[in-house]
Amino acid sequence: MQKKLPNVLAVPLLAGALALSSVGSALAQAKPPESAGASMPKVGEMAPDFTLKYFDGNDLKDVSLSQYRGKKNVVLGFFIFAFTGG
Amino acid sequence: MKALQQDLKRLEATDTQVLGVSVDSAFANKAFADQIGVTFPLLSDWGAEVTRQYGIYLDKYKAARRVNFLIGKDGKILEEQVDKDAIDPTKIVDTCERPKLKN
Repeated sequence: MQKKLPNVLAVPLLAGALALSSVGSALAQAKPPESAGASMPKVGEMAPDFTLKYFDGNDLKDVSLSQYRGKKNVVLGFFIFAFTGG
Repeated sequence: MKALQQDLKRLEATDTQVLGVSVDSAFANKAFADQIGVTFPLLSDWGAEVTRQYGIYLDKYKAARRVNFLIGKDGKILEEQVDKDAIDPTKIVDTCERPKLKN
């Protein structure tokens, strides 16, 4: 049979357990939130087409994903912000 | 983007076009490209419409996550690298150099 813990021990234990559980929920909240709207396309799925602009030093130029269809593979590298690392 | 630039010759040798994308303006991206020596286009997704379409918009930063997609000539996604894994594109370069993709 389990002996009942004296209150002096039980209180800190309970406090410790509560502290651990709050750490756990804080960690759960730290996960990246699912952004609203479309989910990330999976390997094997069609990449969504788009047309975006870039500046070549003289003019703004349009680039569409579809212009490479049947001609080239495309590496599409999303980066977070310009001027923040590589 | 620097890492992709380093692998640019190998990628181009396998019929692969490299494109960078961020939510910065086209002009900021050009200045960034010049600063770090990137010679491929850095596209501007001002407003983040395409970033949202690809499901990688981060509300916290109002910007894209770091993700590399390798898209085949048929328009289908062949490879993905997300967040930290996207810093080193070696896996994508290796996939491009597999014989079946070379033609």
